Amino acid sequence: MSRPAAAAALPLLAIAAGLASRALLGHAAPLPVALFVLVTIAATAAALFALAGGTSLAERLASPVLFGLFVLWVWEMLVLGLKVSPVLLPPPTAVAVAFGNHYRTLAADFRLTYLHSVVIGYAIGCLLGFAVAIAIDRSPFLKRGFAPFASLMSAMPIVAIAPIMIMWFGFGWPSKAAVVVLMTFFPMLVSTTAGLGEAGAMEHELMQSYAAGYWATLIKLRLPAALPLIFTALKLNSTLALIGAVVAEFFGTPIGGMGFRISTEAARMDLGVVWATITVAALAGSISFGLIALLERAVTFWHPSFRTPAGS
Amino acid sequence: MKKFVLAAAAALMLGLAAPLAQAADHLTLQLKWVTDAQFVGYYVALYKGFYKQENLDLTIRPGGPDINPDQVLAGGGAAVVIDWMPSALASREKGVPIVNIAQVFQRSGMELTCRKDSGITTPADFKGKTLGVWFAGNEYPFLSWMAKLGYQWNGPHTDITVLKQGFNVDPLLQKQAACISTMTYNEYWQLIEAGMQPSQLVVFSYEKEGVATLEDGLYALQGSIDNPKKLDELARFLIASREGWDYAIQHQDEAIDILFKYDTAGVLTRVHQEHMIKAVAKLVEGGEHGWGWLDPAAYQRTVNELLSTKSTPVITKEPVGAWTHAVWDKAFKKS
Repeated sequence: MSRPAAAAALPLLAIAAGLASRALLGHAAPLPVALFVLVTIAATAAALFALAGGTSLAERLASPVLFGLFVLWVWEMLVLGLKVSPVLLPPPTAVAVAFGNHYRTLAADFRLTYLHSVVIGYAIGCLLGFAVAIAIDRSPFLKRGFAPFASLMSAMPIVAIAPIMIMWFGFGWPSKAAVVVLMTFFPMLVSTTAGLGEAGAMEHELMQSYAAGYWATLIKLRLPAALPLIFTALKLNSTLALIGAVVAEFFGTPIGGMGFRISTEAARMDLGVVWATITVAALAGSISFGLIALLERAVTFWHPSFRTPAGS
Repeated sequence: MKKFVLAAAAALMLGLAAPLAQAADHLTLQLKWVTDAQFVGYYVALYKGFYKQENLDLTIRPGGPDINPDQVLAGGGAAVVIDWMPSALASREKGVPIVNIAQVFQRSGMELTCRKDSGITTPADFKGKTLGVWFAGNEYPFLSWMAKLGYQWNGPHTDITVLKQGFNVDPLLQKQAACISTMTYNEYWQLIEAGMQPSQLVVFSYEKEGVATLEDGLYALQGSIDNPKKLDELARFLIASREGWDYAIQHQDEAIDILFKYDTAGVLTRVHQEHMIKAVAKLVEGGEHGWGWLDPAAYQRTVNELLSTKSTPVITKEPVGAWTHAVWDKAFKKS
């Protein structure tokens, strides 16, 4: 199917999808409707495939957006058509309704979990990892002594740490931030240590020829060279921090926060709110990952990974 | 030749035994919590073969933190579950056709236990304090009581701070909460066993405060009750369970021994289970018509209690068809 044909076919497919939805919800004769739905799904998939090759901004955005809408539509049809119980899997429309009804609660949960536990824990954990990496680099004693201890700490599962942190720091957000610090510390430590070894021997000799001391070499040569690996750790930590904060909340919290909302509303069979919270968490994680990636692009533009291949 | 004969004989015996084994009906029971004396009657009945006598092949699935038995029922993971009535009615309102077929605990064992040194002597002193409660369906009686007392527990301006407590008593021991929710048969004894003296604790019993709701009961889906074959299985399940409970209450030491045989996690301690079985026996006994009969007046009291909370209602309208005596009558009624 050529691209113009696919672009033209999409409005027709949208109408077909709408009709299929109506027929399914109206419980018309099953076999013809099922065939109609299958044909619509196949045709839409083919059109999306054909559109995928485009290079203009509109075409590049169209594919993921359309695919997302397509997945949501299939989800809705499957749940309604197979009559799945709403306490097991709600349709996307129920999730949207829950979003609308509980908007204020979701915003408060986001403030509590993300802006307090995640952001503060992330900042402390990454800074601590960075500082300890520099200390290890400076002191061979720490290098030999601390590394095994750090790897032991990183192996502790958060479902075991979380209750202990709650006992130490109380039920509020500090205990969740402590869990996030423990989770983000080690990746940052490892990446920074690896990054500090990135600068080549020739560059080191150049600095030596300029009589540059340890700190000058560190700040002017080794840290800039370490930035790509440090950003890798920062991106990884943004997702780990969210996971840590949400899971830590399962173990005890004053009644707010995304983890609390997910665990209690799931137990109360209010799955629309559960999925709405999951959506908020996914959006928060993706946006923070994207922001760090943008920052990385701005700061480490010189790195070979950002070059586009010649001729494309 | 000898080996062949032996093998053939074994195969013949298995072949004869198989149809007999297949004749028993499979049934799965989902517990509300982990294996302990709260459910001793079912384990005793299983061990002593009462279910086998009723031609039932019962599987008991223990519950745990954040496992909602109503979800297991809705998902088809069990044919009969143990749950508390507020949680079951809330699930019913969400669209799960869950029905009470027997009420095992005739009285409520829920209490709010406070530290005396927090200065609390009456419910009026709760204002400004931190109170703990479990969630996953156990919070409804507590929220209902707080609303009745007029305390705002949610939103921007709260009168009390509510903690989602884990399934231990640490918040009270470490003074992170002034009061925590306890059951007469479980957490209260955890506090005593952790070293607290009864004189250091102030206990508010939900029964005495007049805000009790019905707790452990047996629930099944409407579909099972409408199906005559399944109804018969459930009735036989009730008969054997009652035998198990009667035996357990009369032979408590032996019942605890049986429990230990099913304690796969190895977490039970004798002292705690002895306290628990005594307290649970007090809750199970004393029903007007005998074990497991749901008193419609008690049901109505629970419903009224739940409907009376205006701020955050557990249920919003009067449930219809939420309980039935059909299974109990089939099992026990002498017609």
